[in-house]
Amino acid sequence: MKILDPSPKINRRSFVKKVLNGTIAGSLYLVWPMGGSSLETPEEIPGIKGKAYDIHSQEFVFIVDITRCIGCGSCCVADKREYNVPDGNYRTWVERYVKGFSDEIYVDSPHGGLDGYQHPRTDIDEKIRDTFFVPKLCNMCREAPCVQVCPVGATFISPDGFVLVDEKRCVGCAYCIQACPYSARFLNPVTKVAEKCTWCYHRVRKGLLPACVEVCPTGARKFGSMKDETSEVYKILKGPGVLTVLKKEMGTFPALYYEGARREVI
Amino acid sequence: MDFSYRIRLFIVLFAIGVLAGGGFLFKELLLPDSYGLYGPYRGDAIAEAALVPIRHGTNMSCFKCHPHEAKIHKNGRHQTISCEFCHGTYADHITDGKKIGTLPVKKEKEITTLCLRCHNNEIKARHEEVIKTIAMPNHLKDQNVKVTHNCNQCHQVHAPLKYIIRAKQITGLMEAEL
Repeated sequence: MKILDPSPKINRRSFVKKVLNGTIAGSLYLVWPMGGSSLETPEEIPGIKGKAYDIHSQEFVFIVDITRCIGCGSCCVADKREYNVPDGNYRTWVERYVKGFSDEIYVDSPHGGLDGYQHPRTDIDEKIRDTFFVPKLCNMCREAPCVQVCPVGATFISPDGFVLVDEKRCVGCAYCIQACPYSARFLNPVTKVAEKCTWCYHRVRKGLLPACVEVCPTGARKFGSMKDETSEVYKILKGPGVLTVLKKEMGTFPALYYEGARREVI
Repeated sequence: MDFSYRIRLFIVLFAIGVLAGGGFLFKELLLPDSYGLYGPYRGDAIAEAALVPIRHGTNMSCFKCHPHEAKIHKNGRHQTISCEFCHGTYADHITDGKKIGTLPVKKEKEITTLCLRCHNNEIKARHEEVIKTIAMPNHLKDQNVKVTHNCNQCHQVHAPLKYIIRAKQITGLMEAEL
């Protein structure tokens, strides 16, 4: 009588093979990206993604359309999240201008507009003529006062027109914070170096729009390349609309333009 | 005389050597490697500024895995609103292709607060051609609903007029789409 072998027909070699296959497949399952793949960036600024970036032949322009800003503060929230900006400091903020019939101007920006504007101002006695919101950010001056005053060369204008801060060289002397006519800079309480809006340089270099432009629900913030004649900013700058810059008399030649800004906006 | 001339010559040459050597040493030790690549600053700082991690994706990054919400959001009046404004950043949800956290969904009174951030009529700076605004609680009274209602009890938050249009079609106030 033949004794039945209770074990399945398997030898040592095939057993080791199967265990190995299982281990490899299992570990692949754990490391292989599935479903939510890593951030695939669509092309929002044409001509940058997947091409060699020629740093010397770029020009970017930012336009803020005041007539479309509703003061929701999406831009402020996005900005804080993109850079983990410490509380009380703002790379971008939204100001509320209230104009009375006596031509008096009341400006406020509670919490930098981070919580939005939920309530109207109640501390104004006179009749209100006009209310509007003005988003503020770095003006990316072509003749930047902050670059001139930096004693260690930590702030500079890059060949593609961005005013950037070299975190490793900055000594935190805060000269640039005093020099900026737009108060766009602050001393980061954590890193102890000067910080400011960069127009999301890291996003632009990957062909993405700045975070604040990305989230703006009404299209009040516009960003684009002047080298691309089909871009919205090129058409606006070429068109007949009135564009102003802040503090023109300072001679800073900002690359940030305002559309529909009243003369009271400073 | 001849001797002191040579000494003087040596001193001058030595001084030039010390100054040049000192200058060279100064440049080597104190200036960063990429200084002067583009201008009087550290050139590598530009590349470093470009390497800051991206935290916000685009709406397209969200729609890829959430087709149901995408379909509603893309066809509604709220299509220009960024998903990440209400729900949080892409980087808090996905990192290196892996889900690392759950993004919050606003509930009840939070929704009303969120809606009024943009739609509050009392802030007289919101133009009719840009955004439709309402006053609270007048809007609730006008629509004959309880004043305790939240916005999302009538309005689909991703497409605010979705249910309103549907209700009008059912009651015959509006012609149904063919």
